[in-house]
Amino acid sequence: MRSATLLGVQGRPLDVEVHVGVGLPGFTIVGQPDEACRESRDRVRAALLSSGLSWPNRRITVNLASSGERKGGAGLDLAIAVGLLVAQEIIAPDRCIEFAFLAELGLDGSLRPVPGVVPLVGALADRDVVVAPQCVYEARAVARRNVQAVATLGELVSCLRGDSDWPEQQSPMSEGKVGIDNSTDEVDMSDVRGQPAARRALEIAAAGAHHLLFIGPPGAGKSMLARRLPSILPPLDADDALMVTMIHSAANLAIPSGGLIRNPPFRSPHHSASMIAMVGGGTAAMRPGEISLASYGVLFLDELGEFAPSVLDALRQPLEEGLVRLSRAKSSVTLPAKFLLVSATNPCPCGEGAPGVCVCDVRMRQRYLRRFSGPLLDRFDLRVAVDRPRVDDLLADEHGETSSCIASRVVRARRVAHDRSGCLNSMLTADLLDEHASLTRSATQLVRSQLERGRLTGRGYHRIRRVARTIADLQGDIGEVDEQHIAAALALRIGVQPLLLGDQS
Amino acid sequence: MNRAMSTESSFAAALAALPLLGPHRLHKLLIRHSPSEAWAVIRGDHRPHASIEALLGREFLGHKLRERATDEHLHTIHERCITSDIRATFIGDGEYPAILAADIVPPAVLFWCGDLDALNQRRVGIIGTRAATAAGRYMASNLGHEVAERGISVVSGLARGIDAWAHRGAMSPSLRTKPQSSAIGRPVAVVASGLDVVYPRENAELWRDVQTHGVVLSESPPGTAPEAFRFPLRNRILAALCEVLVVVESRAVGGSMITVEEAVKRDVTVMAVPGSPRTSSSAGTNLLLQQGCAPVVEVDDILVALGLDHRRCFPNTFDSRRRPQVDDQRILDSFGDCPRGIEPVTLDQLMVRTGVDLLTLALSLGRLEAEGWVVNNGGWWEAVGQLRA
Repeated sequence: MRSATLLGVQGRPLDVEVHVGVGLPGFTIVGQPDEACRESRDRVRAALLSSGLSWPNRRITVNLASSGERKGGAGLDLAIAVGLLVAQEIIAPDRCIEFAFLAELGLDGSLRPVPGVVPLVGALADRDVVVAPQCVYEARAVARRNVQAVATLGELVSCLRGDSDWPEQQSPMSEGKVGIDNSTDEVDMSDVRGQPAARRALEIAAAGAHHLLFIGPPGAGKSMLARRLPSILPPLDADDALMVTMIHSAANLAIPSGGLIRNPPFRSPHHSASMIAMVGGGTAAMRPGEISLASYGVLFLDELGEFAPSVLDALRQPLEEGLVRLSRAKSSVTLPAKFLLVSATNPCPCGEGAPGVCVCDVRMRQRYLRRFSGPLLDRFDLRVAVDRPRVDDLLADEHGETSSCIASRVVRARRVAHDRSGCLNSMLTADLLDEHASLTRSATQLVRSQLERGRLTGRGYHRIRRVARTIADLQGDIGEVDEQHIAAALALRIGVQPLLLGDQS
Repeated sequence: MNRAMSTESSFAAALAALPLLGPHRLHKLLIRHSPSEAWAVIRGDHRPHASIEALLGREFLGHKLRERATDEHLHTIHERCITSDIRATFIGDGEYPAILAADIVPPAVLFWCGDLDALNQRRVGIIGTRAATAAGRYMASNLGHEVAERGISVVSGLARGIDAWAHRGAMSPSLRTKPQSSAIGRPVAVVASGLDVVYPRENAELWRDVQTHGVVLSESPPGTAPEAFRFPLRNRILAALCEVLVVVESRAVGGSMITVEEAVKRDVTVMAVPGSPRTSSSAGTNLLLQQGCAPVVEVDDILVALGLDHRRCFPNTFDSRRRPQVDDQRILDSFGDCPRGIEPVTLDQLMVRTGVDLLTLALSLGRLEAEGWVVNNGGWWEAVGQLRA
């Protein structure tokens, strides 16, 4: 019998073999099952009996092949049950050859959904798949062949025996998990009053996939701004949507009733998140972490300074490579981790930050900033100070642009970048930068003056150029990068390390 | 240049370094006895004066003091002073500064590094908060510079922020190259820790410079850590040494305000630099102005307060910075109309106020920054005066 288990975000097909032979009555599962898997013995037995099917009072051995890898979860219940029925010759073996089975069994013989249906079905491309009715839309999003949903074991048996037809598909929306798909549409950039620079920074981040850090006192609207970033990101294309859906399904998160997640995900883990919660792993199934769940979308880390330093530094390699390799004693997997990192932090322990308002001692401030390692800070292309909007500023400004308005510019800028270099601007390598983001003479002068004054490091130089490229793309200036683009990029990348030291001039 | 300390001042230093013998008790002791006599009193070899018998009579205190007042202690403190080139004087001594001798709570023993003659110039205290804005730092530095240029000595506390910048301005290299460089004001610093314990560490170089060009004073014996209770005590000496005390930036409460209180007790003129009502680092100075302090906007104000002739003294009003272009000027104006720049603003606030697009604004800010009209401080922009020092 075909079924599959989960490792990371990939399904792993396996065969369930059932042998019913002479000997003392008993039931053993071999092939490294985990606890949930071993308990399927009792579930399968109860389900068979309550479905009015017979339980062989003989020696039963179930082998989960290949037997070298550890298997987890209750999703193999149905395959074991069907195997037993075949062994008892209740179902003919050739009727099952075209099917794979993915469901947990209830004691009453009902089929229950299993986590990770999307990658599991994806791994069983050569069979028709039988799943619980609740997961049919997820399964259908990836299936190349038929997906059959049956409610009970009894129903399945009669279908497999040919006694009845496979049940009709219900219309979507009737059942299943509630989607998260359209929830991001509730927020809109026009909710933000004032703060034109911060809004602009979001637009640039969205257009070029530049990582963004907001620095400012509590109440400055850092989180509010960050939460509106997904609303200006373009919807996912088919491949990305499938990948995101697989990852979310593997983590047993809700999948929209449409089957595919089409909007970029937005994840904002609390700062108490552990390393494993962040990067993934933990269970034998290597559950994807927050960085994988945020793939092709936004990972928002609020109160960056409160995260454990080791967790933050674990982000550095995925930020560079766009994936994370998890290695454990028994297995190692590669999970996607191509996310746009948006963070918010207070500038100092008192939170105020602004010169003349902050009451922190210099040493306290230094200690606070030491929590962010230099390499991590360096990966934020955009670092923007935001302050609480003042009353008169608020009143002076009308509502900002709507998300859809900004999103159309973002889409255009992304298309420009893709047509030019085949990737987003934040991914441009140094060679590609010279080719596609050459500077005008005045821009070169500006950059040189910054380099000479020690304001800009070599790495910072490339980052500034990438951001400037994006700014130019958004403006529609597709030629050389000009002075004003560089100036804007510099203004949106403030120095964090020597932040407001009392004696720094 | 190690000049051997006189025997009496060695005894004074050793007395000051005894535990349990705080500034107050030490004072009582030393106005009745010479240091060597006082040493003998502590040791039990000499009859104490009737007025302090009660003070030392307490069994615990007298015993503890006697235990610690060994020849070895005397020797250690002496050596320490010699190695770090620290000198000591005591109330009643010939070297003891007259201005302090006349004070209401004079320090009984005073340690110093440098040249006490620096105290014989006209003296202006320039003090303020440690968490200063860029505008405040520029102001402190410029005031220090201009005051020193006119032969007036700058008295300050060598703390972070305003204090340090006032002295930096007063000792800027450009002063030393002037022909009449002998007539420039010499820096005077009063610190809370021992003179061989530099605090804060980042001001070590500045501290050394003050010693070279002027004098660093302390009431605390060598080796004393910068304990919190010593700062208010230091502030009273600082206030006592000033003829005019200028507060550049201060919160509504804090060390600067304590110094102001001490100055008021001593009838020292207190002046304050006005600041934005919205920055908390100007809350203290604005409060002082509200209470009737004279404002300081330029160095003339200080000269007037000192009764110096300021008519022939041309304030250095020439601004060598290139005038900004019309557009840039408009942006500079949006920072505020206060002469020394109003509160720090973010890019957001500037964009809202000026209505200028980010790209244009960034270019303008870049130009203004290059010419020294504005500075960026951790993301906040501030308009500043020209740094003269």
